[in-house]
Amino acid sequence: MSRFFATGSDSESEESSSADEITPKAPGTTLKQSLLLSDDEEDTKRVVRSAKDKRFEELTNLIKTIRNAMKIRDMAKCLEEFEQLCRAFLKSKNIVDKEGVPSFYIRLLADLEDYLNQLWEDKDGKKKMNKNNAKALSTLRQKIRKYNRDFETEIAAYKEVSRKSFLPPLTCSSSESEGEAGGVSAKSFLKKKPDEASKSSSSGEDDDDDDDDEGWSGESKESDSESSDGEAKRQSMAESFLKYVLFLILTFKTWESRKHIEEEEEDGGEEGGEGWEKVKYGVPLEKPKMFAKGTEINTTVVVKKLNEILQARGKKGTDRAAQIELLHALAAIAAEHNLGQGILVKIKFNIIASLYDYNPNLAAFMKADMWKKCLECIDELLDILFENNNIFIGENIAEDSENLAVSDQPFRVRGCVLTLVERMDEEFTKIMQNTDPHSQEYVDNLKDEGRVCGIVDRLLTYLENKGSTEEICRVYLRRIMHTYYKFDYKAHRRSLGLQGETKSEQDQEESEGEDSALIMDRLCKFIYAKDRTDRIRTCAILCHIYHHALHSRWYQARDLMLMSHLQDNIHHSDPPVQILYNRTMVQLGICAFRQGMIKDAHNALLDIQSSGRAKELLGQGLLMRNMQERNAEQEKIEKRRQVPFHMHINLELLECVYLVSAMLLEIPYMAAHEFDARRRMISKQFHHQLRVGERQPLLGPPESMREHVVAASKAMKMGDWRTCHSFIINEKMNSKVWDLFPETQRVREMLVRKIQEESLRTYLFTYSSVYDSISMEILSEMFQLEMPTVHSIISKMIINEELMASLDQPTQTVVMHRTEPTSLQNMALQLAEKLGSLVENNERVFDLKQGVYGGYFNRDQKGGYQQKQGGYQGGYQGGYQGGYQRGGYRNQNQSNY
Amino acid sequence: RSSNWNGGYSFSSSSASFAVAVVMKIIKHYQEEGQGSEVVQGVLLGLVVDDRLEITNCFPFPQHTEDDADFDEVQYQMEMMRSLRHVNIDHLHVGWYQSTFYGSFVSRALLDSQFSYQHAIEESVVLIYDPIKTAQGSLSLKAYRLTPKLMEICKEKDFTPEGLKKASIGFENMFEEVPIVIKNSHLINVLMWELEDKSTVADKHELLNLSSSNHLEKSLQLLMDRVDDMSQEIVKYNTYSRNLSKQQQQKHQYLQRRQQENAQRQSRGEAPLPEEDISKLFKPPQPPPRMDSLLIAGQINNYCQNVKEFTSQNLGKLFMAEALQGQN
Repeated sequence: MSRFFATGSDSESEESSSADEITPKAPGTTLKQSLLLSDDEEDTKRVVRSAKDKRFEELTNLIKTIRNAMKIRDMAKCLEEFEQLCRAFLKSKNIVDKEGVPSFYIRLLADLEDYLNQLWEDKDGKKKMNKNNAKALSTLRQKIRKYNRDFETEIAAYKEVSRKSFLPPLTCSSSESEGEAGGVSAKSFLKKKPDEASKSSSSGEDDDDDDDDEGWSGESKESDSESSDGEAKRQSMAESFLKYVLFLILTFKTWESRKHIEEEEEDGGEEGGEGWEKVKYGVPLEKPKMFAKGTEINTTVVVKKLNEILQARGKKGTDRAAQIELLHALAAIAAEHNLGQGILVKIKFNIIASLYDYNPNLAAFMKADMWKKCLECIDELLDILFENNNIFIGENIAEDSENLAVSDQPFRVRGCVLTLVERMDEEFTKIMQNTDPHSQEYVDNLKDEGRVCGIVDRLLTYLENKGSTEEICRVYLRRIMHTYYKFDYKAHRRSLGLQGETKSEQDQEESEGEDSALIMDRLCKFIYAKDRTDRIRTCAILCHIYHHALHSRWYQARDLMLMSHLQDNIHHSDPPVQILYNRTMVQLGICAFRQGMIKDAHNALLDIQSSGRAKELLGQGLLMRNMQERNAEQEKIEKRRQVPFHMHINLELLECVYLVSAMLLEIPYMAAHEFDARRRMISKQFHHQLRVGERQPLLGPPESMREHVVAASKAMKMGDWRTCHSFIINEKMNSKVWDLFPETQRVREMLVRKIQEESLRTYLFTYSSVYDSISMEILSEMFQLEMPTVHSIISKMIINEELMASLDQPTQTVVMHRTEPTSLQNMALQLAEKLGSLVENNERVFDLKQGVYGGYFNRDQKGGYQQKQGGYQGGYQGGYQGGYQRGGYRNQNQSNY
Repeated sequence: RSSNWNGGYSFSSSSASFAVAVVMKIIKHYQEEGQGSEVVQGVLLGLVVDDRLEITNCFPFPQHTEDDADFDEVQYQMEMMRSLRHVNIDHLHVGWYQSTFYGSFVSRALLDSQFSYQHAIEESVVLIYDPIKTAQGSLSLKAYRLTPKLMEICKEKDFTPEGLKKASIGFENMFEEVPIVIKNSHLINVLMWELEDKSTVADKHELLNLSSSNHLEKSLQLLMDRVDDMSQEIVKYNTYSRNLSKQQQQKHQYLQRRQQENAQRQSRGEAPLPEEDISKLFKPPQPPPRMDSLLIAGQINNYCQNVKEFTSQNLGKLFMAEALQGQN
């Protein structure tokens, strides 16, 4: 159509006027048509007609004004009218629903968009336009774009046909003879043919619609005008003309055959072939369209039909939505005719496949409703499979060895239910990834998770009976993937022994179900035993650990992690598995923290936290900063790896756990090694936070979680556990962090205890030099710890040579020994170290002169300096090893070279 | 000469004598402007008499601030000296003074400026004033001059290892200390006696203060920093010499190969390979300047002297205290 418009506006005026002219005549055409229609059909339509006419008249009038406005480039008017038109169209919605979208409406939409685009491109013209118009133009353009999205297929179809629409004149002459052969007068044929053609053009319209005439008449006139100049074109297009003609004849015949003639059955059957399926759009409700009336519908016919439909799959210009509709219709037919479950399953497979195909590219996600349809389909498919035990499905069944017909033999159908479910699950993940996690929509989508789980469960039971081990492993992994990150509240409550009284019936019913732990255990163990692909086993192990950790089964989780040796080779696996590994490690760390294993928690979280890219490593979001480093393609890939929001691990919780563990480790360590020039940092990140805190010119009360931890650290440095406690555990921190744990109270108690203990240690380290002796009773009172605890802590410190003191049992006091070097002595020691390295360096120079590495240089190896090496390399676990360790310094020096 | 009214003094040109007014001025200058490790500097004025350098006056350099970056120091000095001449004070530029922080003064800056002084006026000295020691009760003033050897090296700007080796200069003979004599007028001597009579016992016994760790700690810290620097220098030198020897080896190999090839060619009756510039093929690595390490060594030496002096004094004090305790 656009090209007609571009050639000149003459035809346009003609067209619009003709539309006007024809409208009143509409009843007449109906009369004519009614002659051809059977009576019962006529009856159903008659009621609607007057209302429809009225509505459509309104629409056409509006369209006319729009076209006029277009001609004089009055955009403001155009916009106004268009808005009115939209409203009018909305009003006539119920008619449209019944009749399909009228072609003239589609035509206007298409033309208007083309026209606007044209105007938009025309920069000069735009400049000349007055402000009002220009504004209206841009608004209208936006609007129509948005609006047209809903009619995409129709417009596309229209455009396609409009490109061919200069054919009819030729068609007329050539098809006349054919028409006569068909036993219908040429006149009526001519009258009918445009009607049919219009059907193909509008493609959404009902065949009996009298507006077709009106819609078409304009178009045919246009084509007339076009054809007058298109002699050459006609020649070049001859081939496609022929096809078109053939098509018209065929469709016409079909129509005829539907009326009276039975002998043309075969043609009707083939009607859908050759890529002309479009014609069938909107028809599917009437199954005779699919199969010629009276055809004996049996398995072979249906399969044939199915193949026909499928052949169009993937071809350009195939309307996917229509295809799905067709398949549905086919399924309905098959069901109606009791063709057996085999064929039904076959069709279902194909429906689901086409649903997946609906989205053109892999990256985009399915629309939620499409996906839901798919879900239903799979559900139905599983229903069928469960009901009929005699259906064999499998990917390895060849197309020709399928057995779809009802017979004594079991059905054999090609296809893999598992793949479909996996795909469905992936699509679900994609949908979740692409939904705003803070919207209601997300919650709605998330509700479907249960259904997904249900399907996976059903598939699981199905495959357990029928599938190969490989398939079982795969479906088990699916099941695991849906289970591992969920906290099992039922089991948790049960373990706490709170079962019963307070719960409603439903809850109780729910709690009847198996513990997720048991399920995980069973599934994972099966996979460990049977799986042969490394990936599934790795994932299963990780999920298993994650699940253990989530439910505070620390030792199981840790043992599994250590036994699996995943740390060694996880770097070779693909990114999603690595993300899973990171998630597991983090969960493990958090679990260790809950159990009070501070050191383990710190070690587990160190890798993730020290990089500062926790978000990225856990697949919970992309970092902005390396936007330049990756191109759009990489970004898309990375986006696909993201974990959906409901599976996220709270990053603030993670950081807080890490920082608090670092604080509990680092502060006493710092106090113990205050004078050690070469003390190593346990946690860089924690130090960074401390420095940030120090840099603040004015220190207000802490606001964020980090500030709380920093403030607490400062208090702890002074051994003031009460302040430290109040900074770590308070309203703000509770709501931000601690309440997120399932066993909040227990964790808090553990934390308080740890703070007390570590504060005591810090206090002793820091202030031991000012005491000659200190009563343990006082210490126990100061830190609110029981005597035995204090005793054990101090004893440990003494044993580890962290504290130079001895315990005096009768008086319950700690007697300090003055062995700590003073700062001057420390300094002198450091100087000695430095001088040592200086001498060594000097010797190297000397050696170089001599040309021999020997003499002085070997002295080191002979001396006792290096003998203590092992202990210090172990890091802080070795702890503080007493005051004077020349060897220690020496070793560190050497490792620097 | 007019300087005589200030007190008499007699030193050879290898010694410097001071009027007490100069000392007081320097101390005052530091008290007013220098804090902590900040350094104050000024110009010494005086004249050469026979073989003595007589320093009769001084004036401070103004403290630099950010906002008068275009301040012309030379201009200021000239102005100052002119003004002093107007009031009939010695205006001959004979050196400069600088305060020090725990004895740290051996630096490149000092070397450069002293070189330029000595280059212009042969007799000029640099006077180092240690306010901390002075505050502890013993006036610490030291006058230094660059040795003629160092002067030569500085003139040639040859700080390569070879250059220094040739000049056979070490950190010990970079500076020569010039003995100082402080001359007071009789009137001042009288005043001093009177003051000593009046001062309380506590004031006098400042010297006996036993708390030493602070001073020592600071010295050690500074010493350590220098030692670190020294280590770095050595590592630098080490890599240099290693590179050098490696290159030598390569060069040697190359030459040998060349020789062999030439011999072969000769036996085959071909023309020998053309001579190539070997120095172009093997560019010797840039030798690291050694002046810095010399200076650092000098500074370390200085610190060590300081610490030694300080500790020996303190040990004496400790023994004394012990003896006193024993008696009680």
